[in-house]
Amino acid sequence: MRDTYDVVIIGAGHNGLTLGSYLARAGLEVLVLERRHEEGGGLCTEEVTLPGFLHNIHANYHTFVDLAPPVTDLDVRGHGVEYVRPDVQMASIYPDGTALTIHSDLDKTQASIARFSERDADTFGRLHSEAHGYIDLLLGTLMYQPPMSVKELTKALAAFGVEDRSEFLSVKLRRETINQFLDQHFENDKVKAHLAFHGAVCAYTNDVAGLAIGYPLLIGKIDNWHLCVGGSHRLAHALWRDLAQNGGTLVTCAEVDRILVDGGRAVGVRLGDGTEIAARRAVASTVSVEQTFLEFLDSSATSEEFAHKVKTDVVHKDWTLFSVHLALSELPEYDAAEFDPDVNRAWVVNLGHDSLESLNADWATIRAGGLPEPKPNAAVNSLYDPTDAPDGCATGLLRQFAPFALADGGEGAWERAGRWYGQHCLDAWRRYAPNLSDDKVLDWAVDTPLDITRKLVNMPHGDWMMGEVSLANMLDTRPLPELGQYRTPVEGLYMAGSTQHPHGYITFGPAYNALQVMADDLGVEKWWREI
Amino acid sequence: MPDIYSDSWYEAVRDTINARVATLPERDVPRGSWHAVVEIVGDGASPYVDAESVRRFLVRIDDGHCAWYREIDTANPDGVDLDYRFVGPATAFDEIAAGTRDPIDAALDGTVRVRGDMRFLMRQAALVKTLLEAYTHGVQTEWPQGQPPYNGSGGDA
Repeated sequence: MRDTYDVVIIGAGHNGLTLGSYLARAGLEVLVLERRHEEGGGLCTEEVTLPGFLHNIHANYHTFVDLAPPVTDLDVRGHGVEYVRPDVQMASIYPDGTALTIHSDLDKTQASIARFSERDADTFGRLHSEAHGYIDLLLGTLMYQPPMSVKELTKALAAFGVEDRSEFLSVKLRRETINQFLDQHFENDKVKAHLAFHGAVCAYTNDVAGLAIGYPLLIGKIDNWHLCVGGSHRLAHALWRDLAQNGGTLVTCAEVDRILVDGGRAVGVRLGDGTEIAARRAVASTVSVEQTFLEFLDSSATSEEFAHKVKTDVVHKDWTLFSVHLALSELPEYDAAEFDPDVNRAWVVNLGHDSLESLNADWATIRAGGLPEPKPNAAVNSLYDPTDAPDGCATGLLRQFAPFALADGGEGAWERAGRWYGQHCLDAWRRYAPNLSDDKVLDWAVDTPLDITRKLVNMPHGDWMMGEVSLANMLDTRPLPELGQYRTPVEGLYMAGSTQHPHGYITFGPAYNALQVMADDLGVEKWWREI
Repeated sequence: MPDIYSDSWYEAVRDTINARVATLPERDVPRGSWHAVVEIVGDGASPYVDAESVRRFLVRIDDGHCAWYREIDTANPDGVDLDYRFVGPATAFDEIAAGTRDPIDAALDGTVRVRGDMRFLMRQAALVKTLLEAYTHGVQTEWPQGQPPYNGSGGDA
């Protein structure tokens, strides 16, 4: 590590590495600093149960493969990433033993939905076709560009008459919940529950007003879920490799203590051990807003008003994820396979939510700090990636929507509640897959909401999206209007992580969009801008 | 009437576009220059572009007006910093030129793919709509090899 670089990037998650790679390929001297012992951030794969069982601790679903420009620009496949797109992408198993499956083949998905409602199957087909048609346009407009305002967007939608041309897109969606959208277009409770569940897994809570505006986009990629063979961390390796091959430097175990400011301009960083590193042209932060502005910067670097806004106006998700990682000696066999054999090959299975009311009730419980009766979703990566477990065995991942702070004891209560709640989640899975008896579960470990924040300190409140997903915290107002275009009140300091538009998840979007702004400001040639 | 895709047809389209842009309020006409490539991909149905071949037209816009156009034989012309690329099957472009297919629908349903700064296009909705309207309805076109939808015989449908 030298003492001076062109750009210093704080955080080596997929956004930090992506930004670093693009800039390094543009010829800049880039340093990426990571507090943890390894790169990747949420791209974290560990043997938390038994040796040979590879568990994705955080990011498991890669839904923007071949939609996000960096996947091709940075040649992640050429750097060793292999993606699998499961043919049975997702399922819901309902308490009455019926099941619905989402396939990579639209006809099969429609056939599954038709068992519940032929009308809904037709509607889904039209919605999917319409959304699939404009997903390219929407992604280019909304995801992989620095954001427009909601006002500009709705004005443009009106000017182009999109509402008259689309069965599903409408300006009024900006005021509606996903529940309302589903109630308007679908009739069957179980179908609606599955589609709402899909939104929730993407952090689009079905009862939050305004999120209907993004829902058609989610449907456009409902069958684009990919698994990273060998674990999600492989993607982090690939991004690091690209960075290194293009002259960039990654340093791990390098905790930033201060962003250095001189004359109102970010000029470098100081590490916890006192090492100072100068940044000739820019510093980019991919960690939380709170860390960046309240911990890394002296209070004199920004106005009191801005610092106050960071403390009071940065909003985090009001629910998070409780996870159970399992080492299994065999694959789950669901009773519901009698209804639909494909559930045994479904990568991700929603266990139990059979109506919008079921989901709504759990959100209410969670927002009050309570633990709902578990209705987890179960992912079995080994179905499509046998390399993630020893021969004949499988990994399992149960995810349960949960609060960060429990009403009884706050977030610290997870210390005593984690194992107990994990057992309840496992019991819930067994009700649908009774073959998973004690002797088939070789080991299991929990990852509580508190663990999320402890391991990934850039995710306060267990907030895996690094900011609430709501209309008020979307586009150019995410995470604050002052930061919405990736610039900050400190000249030369940029925000490029999941706190920014579009949001968390493995989208590459925050880094890609910050890159456009930084390139404009720094006069960097946009080698990636292939029109 | 000029033949579709002929020099005289493009000149008529250009003149029509510029005449209409001249009627727009100044606030709806952005200053600056842009280059766009239109890629018309032969699909085996259109008699105007051979199957599996591509005809490419480079267009320059200055201050909202069409300054010039030229047919090019490469996807990335030397010395030109492209701002936009529009790609689609020949039949779709023929139908747009004939006024039988809405170009916005064609973009929305993914038939015509758009590459470039979408925010700018969204913000310039008035200009974009004027350009498209002139392209689709502004020029009466002769269809010597048949107008879409084609009847398979190469004659007028």
